[in-house]
Parts: sequence; structure tokens; C-alpha cells
Amino acid sequence: MAGERSFIGILIKRLFLGGVAAVVLLLLTRFVFHFPPIFQAMFVLYAGLGTVVFILLDAPAVSPFSGVKALVALVAFYAVLAGTFIAGANFLPQYDPMVEKGKIDKIVKPKLAATDKGKTDELLKRSVELNAQSQAIMKRLEALGGADKLKAAEGDTGGGGVAPKAAAGDLVALGKEQYDLQECYNCHKVGGKGSVKKRGPILDNIGSLMKPEEMKEKLLNPRAWMADGFEKEYNKKLMPDKYKELMSDPEIDALVSYLASLKDASVETPKPIKK
Amino acid sequence: MKTWQRSLLLVVGLLLVGTAAYAQLPDPKVHDFPIGGNRAAVWVVAQLHILFAAFILGAPIFVVVSEILGWKNQDGRYERLAKEVTKVTVILYSMTALTGGLFIFVLLATYPQLTAWLINHFFAVFAVIYPLLFIAETIVLYLYWYTWDALQGPKKGRHIALGVLLNVIGLATLIVIDGPTSFMNTPVKSAEGLDLKTFIETTATLWDKMNNFSWWPLNIHRTVGNVVFGGFITGLIAAYMYLMAKNDEERAFYDWFGFIGNLIGVGALLVLPFAGYLLAYELCDYDASICPYMMSDQLSMFFEMQGAMVGLIFLASNYYIWLSLKRIEGLERIRMRTTTMILMASIPVVFMFIWTKFPIPDPNAFILPACWVAAFLIAGRFLKWTVPAQTMVKVAFLMVIVGNAIWMTPHAFVATQALAPDDGSLSLPHGELSLGFITVDWGMLALMPAKNAAAFTLVFVTIINYILYNRAMRQGRIIWGKIDFVAQFVLIFLAFSAIWTMGLMGAVRELTRKYFHVFNLQYDFTPEAFTPTLAYSSWVITGVTLTFYIVVSFAIVLTLRIGKDKAHADAPKAVPAAAGGK
Repeated sequence: MAGERSFIGILIKRLFLGGVAAVVLLLLTRFVFHFPPIFQAMFVLYAGLGTVVFILLDAPAVSPFSGVKALVALVAFYAVLAGTFIAGANFLPQYDPMVEKGKIDKIVKPKLAATDKGKTDELLKRSVELNAQSQAIMKRLEALGGADKLKAAEGDTGGGGVAPKAAAGDLVALGKEQYDLQECYNCHKVGGKGSVKKRGPILDNIGSLMKPEEMKEKLLNPRAWMADGFEKEYNKKLMPDKYKELMSDPEIDALVSYLASLKDASVETPKPIKK
Repeated sequence: MKTWQRSLLLVVGLLLVGTAAYAQLPDPKVHDFPIGGNRAAVWVVAQLHILFAAFILGAPIFVVVSEILGWKNQDGRYERLAKEVTKVTVILYSMTALTGGLFIFVLLATYPQLTAWLINHFFAVFAVIYPLLFIAETIVLYLYWYTWDALQGPKKGRHIALGVLLNVIGLATLIVIDGPTSFMNTPVKSAEGLDLKTFIETTATLWDKMNNFSWWPLNIHRTVGNVVFGGFITGLIAAYMYLMAKNDEERAFYDWFGFIGNLIGVGALLVLPFAGYLLAYELCDYDASICPYMMSDQLSMFFEMQGAMVGLIFLASNYYIWLSLKRIEGLERIRMRTTTMILMASIPVVFMFIWTKFPIPDPNAFILPACWVAAFLIAGRFLKWTVPAQTMVKVAFLMVIVGNAIWMTPHAFVATQALAPDDGSLSLPHGELSLGFITVDWGMLALMPAKNAAAFTLVFVTIINYILYNRAMRQGRIIWGKIDFVAQFVLIFLAFSAIWTMGLMGAVRELTRKYFHVFNLQYDFTPEAFTPTLAYSSWVITGVTLTFYIVVSFAIVLTLRIGKDKAHADAPKAVPAAAGGK
């Protein structure tokens, strides 16, 4: 009985201290660290876990039990564990795969098209489309009732000049897309957005510091150029040397066009040095 | 050899030869799994196979050590532990083979072209070396098990030699199969300037492909991980048997059994974070874009979860030590130097500052921490103040909590940099703003020096606790079987958490290939090439862990409980034993 009373005393004391720790952590994470709510809650829960641990340290011993009671306890224990781990994983911020799906489609589809299987699939698809188109034209011909009207109808469709016009028109936009697809933002920063860990140099004014052919050389052979302040042996290996194999020439040209357009002199950009 | 064992060998042989033949078929059909999709199907089967394989490769390492200890010290408990773990291993071995076969079938059905491509590139491994090793391992394992009683007394050395041979073959099997596995993460690059595809398809030899960047880091990581896994599963076996024990003698034996399992699991666990760090370092060294993908982009929250799991495992293992201490008579006489306690409390802050100022591998990063520790050890020689063992352990718990809180402090609050807000700020409910990443003032808490200091704190605290425990065992009297019943649930928790964490980190390693089957070489053209969310992954990992647990629980009950009476009759007396005595 005395043992029980003393444990209740310990319990109250630990709960009080745990509560104080939780409040302190909440205030710190909210007003000093400016953490978002999920992470404020995470540290408050963590204080709760610490409290439970310190209560358990002085909890009275549990006597052995067996049979059905042990089996039920075991199953319940597994259910709690599984539920807790799943809840913990669901509690943290979640990545939206749709963001990556769009990117992957843009990267992978041209590669698939270049494979034998991709080419065969593409030919089959085009033959089906052409067949459908020819049937549609035949129907329209019949509906319009003559070749003159057909000619006019062909003029309305625009022929096919739009696509080349768009492709030639905005190389910088296509380059920006390549910058995002290759996830260059994970190491570099442009316009204040991107890596906060300074793995690679800021690129805001890179267009003023490098010629396009030098940028292309850097992309194809990363160790040919190093940014000022990134000359350590470790830094030299940071930029992957895979882009010459993973990107097509038009993609590299587009990326170079985008980088060449970055000429914001107000942002300090490390000077490139030829190696 | 029993019929089912012959069948097992036949299945393995057919699978391996059949796989090689199927791989040569032109353009085999892709089958779609109706529930969960093809990726989840491969994920589940591969993970299950790896879990069984981890146990059958990890357990024999300490089984042989236990057998040697029992033989040298004439302590029957070690012999019985080794035999009971081997008994479970033999049953789980067949599950490893069956899930391995299932894995190959599922791979061939869902990703036939990739499977064929891999088999063609590693034909000698898949068709010759691996089958031979697997068959050799099967034969030696069964020899080891069935000659246990025959090779006793003066012939014991031969039996131990068989156990050592089993481990050598097991390790060789692991190393061989890690070749293709690691190749998929880090396919070897050409030294002559050839592009990756041309080099791999034309010039690279089998050895070039095997000896890739992450092969040895993966070998080391998996070997250590398997020992951790084997130790914690041994703890699980002990806990189950303790729950089913019918008398004090059984409880005493399985209490000791659990203690040894936990000791092995925790001992290897202390090395595991560093082995994992080495593997991650090599992956990043191979291609630096893997690093942000893991640490700050799509997989960043997986590492947040890993931090939570590691903290829970260290808390639980230290709690087990605490419960073990409580059953030692004379614990109140055990004291530790106050300087050791202060040293322990200082480590997270001091080491974080040292490693921020002098990042590893700067020589000062090693010299200064060593000097710091030495200063306290020297001071302890002159300052004789001491604290009770209980106080020491409580401070240790506090430091585990503090260390883990540092480990879990995130650098960024978004699950991907792609979704980071343009102005870097996140709105909070009452209008205030939070940066999308931790503020510069506190940024050091989120960087690697702080994480390393936190990991070192967890390891250091656990070592100190074991030193304390060892001292208590030598000076006091341990009463086996009288441990708090809750300790058995702690052992179960440790095994469950360790398996779950293995599943999580295994998924991370696989996902670092991004939208490639073989990184930078073989694109994944399927609609499932994207990174899954942590929430989805947690369901898959939990499902796999529970499935594994059901099978293992069944194996333990079947092998050890049903045949208990016979084993029990052969068992040497185990209780009570004086602490520290043989």
C-alpha cells in the first residue's frame, strides 16, 4: 500500500514535470523556432513520450501471466504497435506523388519512344490515329460535298506551323522546365528559391559570368569549371557527370539558354573558374 | 534427408535453371497484379524474403559463438540457446527458400524485361555461383543441425567447424547476391571515359559490375544489420518462451536467453548507424543528386521517421537494461563517477560545436572529442564524487531523449523541395510566418554535425549503461527469472521496431534509384515509377512486418513449444546463478 502511494506521488510529480517540459517545448517551437503546427505537435508528443518513459522507470513490477490473457495481451500489443507506427508515418508531412509523376512522364516518355518497343508502339499508335483521321476526312468530304470546300477546310486547321513556332519560340521556358525536371534546385538557388544547404553556387547572375559554350562544357564535364569557393576536393565531385548521357542535345541547349538568361547582377553569384 | 527437404532443394534447382531459361524468351508478357499493383507485389515479396534471409544469415553467427562459449565454459545454457535458435533457423530457412522462389516468379511475371536484362548481365552469378552456394549452405545447415547430438564430447570441435563453415558460406552468399543488388543502385562507371550504357553493355566484366561503389558498404551494412536482427529475434524467441513458461526454471532460462539476445542485438546496433552512414556516403559519392533526394527532398520524411524509430529502439533497449538492473540484489551499493555523468550530459552540445567547427574528416574532429573524453576520465581520477547507479541511468535516459530530439529536428518542414513555398515561408494558423526550413539561428541543430553528435550520444549512453550493468553483475547477485514481466514486451517491441526500421530503410535504399530500375541506366517505364508517400509505405512495411511476425511466431511455437518436453528433459539446470559467475 505504501509502495502504491509512493508510486502515485511519483506519477503526479512526473506528470507535472512532463507537462512543464511540453509547455516549454511548445513555446520554443512556436515562438522561437517558428516551426509549423505539425512539428510543434511532434515535439510536444515527444515530451509526452519522455514523461511516459520516466513514469515507467519507477512503475511497480508486473507479475507474470500466461495462457489466454498473455495471448490477448500480445495481440493487443501488436495492434497498438502497428497502429502507432502507421499513425506516426501518416502524421508527418506527405509528399504528393502527382508532382513527380508529371516530371517523370516528361523525362521518361521520350526515352521510351527511343527504344525499339517504344518505336513499335508509336508506329502502331500513329497508324491507328491516321486511320481514324482518314475516316474523319472521308466523312467531312462527304458532308461538304466537294474538293474546293475540302481545300478550305484544310486551311482552317492551320497545316502544322504552330508546333515548330512554339518549339522555336521559347527555348528559355523549355530550359527552365529542364532545370526543374533535373531537380537542379536541390543544389542551386535562383531567385531566392532552391537549396538552403549551399551544396552548389547561386546562379542568379551566371548568364553574365559564363558564355553559353562554357556552360555547356560545365554541364557535360562538371569538373572543367568550378565556382569560386567550391574548389575543395569534396565539392569537385558534387556535380554529377551524368547529364551528357541522360539529356539530349536539344535539352542541354535549352537548359543553357535558360542559364544564359539569368543576369541579375544584384545577387552575388560565385565566379566560375576554368580548371 | 526428409522428403520436404529434398523437395526444397528440387524447387531451388528448378527455379534457378528455369529462371535462366525464361529470361531468354523473346518479349515475355507483363502480368498485372490486381491488388496493390506490380510494385507493391515485388516490394512485399522481396521484403519478406530479405527478412527471412537476414535471420538465417545473422543467427548462425552468434549461434556458433554461443556454442563455443558453452563448450569452453561448460555452461549448458549457451549450448541450449544455440540449439534452440538453430531449430528455429532450420524452419525459417525453408521459408527463405520459398519466398526467394516466389520473389523470382513475381519478378519474372511483373518485370520480365528487367529480370532478363539482369540475369543476362549476371548470368554466372544467378545460374552458377548463387545456386551452388545456396545448395552448399542447405547441405551444411542440415548437417550442422542433424549432427548436433552425434558430434558431442571429443567431437564437439568438428561440429563447431561445421558451424563456422556454415557462416562462411552464408557470408559468401550474401556478398555474391549483394553484387547485382548494389549494381542496381550504383552501376560501375567507365574509367576510360566511355558512357555508362556503352561500358556496361560492351566492355564491363562481371567483376566490374560486382565491384561497384556500394557493394562493400552494402555487405558491411547487411552483415551488421543481420546480427542486430538475429539478436532481437533471439530476444523475441526468449520472450515468447518466457510467456509460455510453466515453471521458475524455464522462466530463469528464458530470462537469461532474452538478456543474451538483447545484448547481441544492442551490441551490433551500436555499430549499425555508422555502417548506414558509410553506405549513404558512398551512394552520395557516386551521384550527389541522391543525397538531396534522400535527405531534403522526396525521402526526407522517411529519415524523420527513421530518427523516431532509432530513438524508440535506444529508449527500449536502455529500458530493458534498467529492468534487468532492478532484479540485481545489491544494486544500491553500485555508484558511478560524477565526472562520467557530466561527460555524458555534455556530449550532444560539445561534440556538435566541435564537428560544426571542424567537420569530419578534419583531424581536429577526432582529436578534440578524444581530448574532451580524456579530460573527464583524468578528472575522475582525482574527483572522487559519485552518484548512485539509479541516478546515472535516469540521466542517461534524459540524454537519450535529448539526443533523439536533436536527431529529429528537421532541416525543412516540407516533404519535398519541389513543394517548398516560393517565398520560403509557411503560414501558421494565427497569421505568423514560419520559414519552410529551420531558421539560421537554430540551423545547426538540423545539420549533420548535430545528427552525428546525437547518434554518438545514443551510442555512448548505451555503452555507459552496459558498463554499469556489468559492474552491477560483478558486485551484486542476479536472480534470473525474476525480471519484471514487462521486460518480455520490451523484447517484443525491440524486435518489431527493428524489423519495421529495416523495412523502412530498405525501401529508402531501393527508392534512391528514382525512376530507374538500374540507376541512370535502365529507365522504369511503368506508371509506378514515382516515389510513394511515407504514409503509403508505412502500410506496406507494417503489413510485411506483421506477416513475418505471424510466420516466425508460428515457427517458434511449433518448434520450441511442441517439442519442449524432450528438449527440457535434456536441458542442464540453469538457476539460480550468481551474477558474474559461470
